[in-house]
Amino acid sequence: MISRRTALTALGAGAAVAGTGVAAVAIANHDKPEPLAPPSTDNQGRVVWRNWSGIQHCYPQSRLAPTSAEELAQILKTAQAPIRVVGAGHSFTALAVTPGTMISLDQMSGILGWQGDNAIVQAGTRLGNLGPELAAKGRAMANLPDINKQSLGGALGTGTHGTGKALTAIHGDVVALTLATPNGDLIDCDATREPDIFQAAKVSLGALGVITKATLRTTPNRRLHRHVWVEPLEQTLAEAESRWAKHRNYEFYAIPFTDMAACISHDETDLPARERANEQDDTILVALKGLRNLLGFSTTLRKAAGKALLSSAKPEEAVDEGWKLLSTDRPERFNEMEFHLPAENQLKALKEVIETIERERPDVFFPIEARRIAPDEAWLSPFQGGPRGSIAVHCHYRDEFAFLFELIQPILLRYGGRPHWGKLHNLQGRALEALYPKWNDFRKLRERLDPEGRMLNHYLKGLFNV
Amino acid sequence: MVHGQFLIGIMIGSALLLSSCSKPVPPTPTAQEALALRPADPRIASLYESACKACHAVAGTGAPLVHDHAAWDPRWKQGLPVLVDHVLQGYRGMPAGGQCLTCTPQDHQALIRFLADQPEPKP
Repeated sequence: MISRRTALTALGAGAAVAGTGVAAVAIANHDKPEPLAPPSTDNQGRVVWRNWSGIQHCYPQSRLAPTSAEELAQILKTAQAPIRVVGAGHSFTALAVTPGTMISLDQMSGILGWQGDNAIVQAGTRLGNLGPELAAKGRAMANLPDINKQSLGGALGTGTHGTGKALTAIHGDVVALTLATPNGDLIDCDATREPDIFQAAKVSLGALGVITKATLRTTPNRRLHRHVWVEPLEQTLAEAESRWAKHRNYEFYAIPFTDMAACISHDETDLPARERANEQDDTILVALKGLRNLLGFSTTLRKAAGKALLSSAKPEEAVDEGWKLLSTDRPERFNEMEFHLPAENQLKALKEVIETIERERPDVFFPIEARRIAPDEAWLSPFQGGPRGSIAVHCHYRDEFAFLFELIQPILLRYGGRPHWGKLHNLQGRALEALYPKWNDFRKLRERLDPEGRMLNHYLKGLFNV
Repeated sequence: MVHGQFLIGIMIGSALLLSSCSKPVPPTPTAQEALALRPADPRIASLYESACKACHAVAGTGAPLVHDHAAWDPRWKQGLPVLVDHVLQGYRGMPAGGQCLTCTPQDHQALIRFLADQPEPKP
């Protein structure tokens, strides 16, 4: 979309605008140092575990990788608590952190069988690996998140989602699941068998036990037409609702300090496959960071250079099977807060978030992501009860992110937002009870299935006020 | 005489050095070759398939491609302990632990050797 040459040229122009000599050099190089890393092993020789972004870490006493649901159930009954399961470690909160037992389901991966067009998938299956397995049978997941490294279990447990007005989050396509509980039971449930456990377990943060497998609705593996383009943010905001109605998948990234936005749509097509160009997102991020470093002292100059840079971007087109297009590699690590708001509040809140960032936080350069998700009925689904519009604010992993809690979360809460369970927020107990009609039903069920709190780490105890 | 042998020694040594310096770098694997590569040890292969392959066997992910000497040789020169520590802590786009929860530091060593296409040390 933007060539490296274009980005560098724009940065050169920015540098020229910035002034001369020493002053420009002094303004530049605002890259933050690498955050301090915890020791690779602790004083007992236990190896560190860190999440993807690096802000969570622990030294688990034991790490286990069961190969069957029965083995997993036995582990839950006997292993040292707190017991936490981790997939790709993409959650930014302390969901997986434990000094006790950390479990990987990497050895429980792949499709176990089919019920018609529904696939029975082991919870350790990475979403990126599920795509080709389903495609081999001519099927696909209806939707995918922006990143596809996660395990199915991790994605379900945190309410992970993609974008599309008529498309639910991934757990919305679960028609049955098996839950291994801390007392060693394996519970099969669906809309008619143990319906309460079914609606609670779909999005359960690994607090009820561990999902071992899920039966997923699939769709025909259609080709999608991917279109990426950049335009003025004002136009994006004006046309957002009609685009969500029009496109199978639509999202946009508001780019702070540029008054521009990058838009991405996907629609089903019978056109022949047309290869996706190499990812340019990383190049754009480098350019945006460079603009911050050079021109962060002046929003006016930064916007002028940013608009010049992004206006030169050429649209991207690609045609391929959905599983190859809907997710993106993210080589640049970041931290992120995402809330899901009633759809009618999404754009109002987004404008306020952008204004606040441009007024208070010139260090921010990551684009702000806006998506739309259809409702479902899982008890702790952020999309329970009505369609939601999501707003996600990212920070480079080296940058300070406390402002997300101080400045951004209050705005998103004021507009009725619910936090993404895997992303940064600091809500607990009563604050969450106010957002979820079934919150206390979930707490009672959790107490019934795990009376000793074997699945609860420090973070979850705070969340559920245990 | 000794002086002559010394000179011959230097010449042979230089020739060996030049020969090793000019050793051609193997070509970067094609996309299909990269996807087909697999460690010989079944356990390491299983860890590789579930943890490393998604990024290191696909060009353009930002991760150095498996068996790509142009990418790996400069990294290998940093020494295995440094590379293992990068895996444990996470490095640039790579998540800490390299997506392998149950890998021991020895497993990480074996996986790095395979990715860098470096032989196992002789016992």
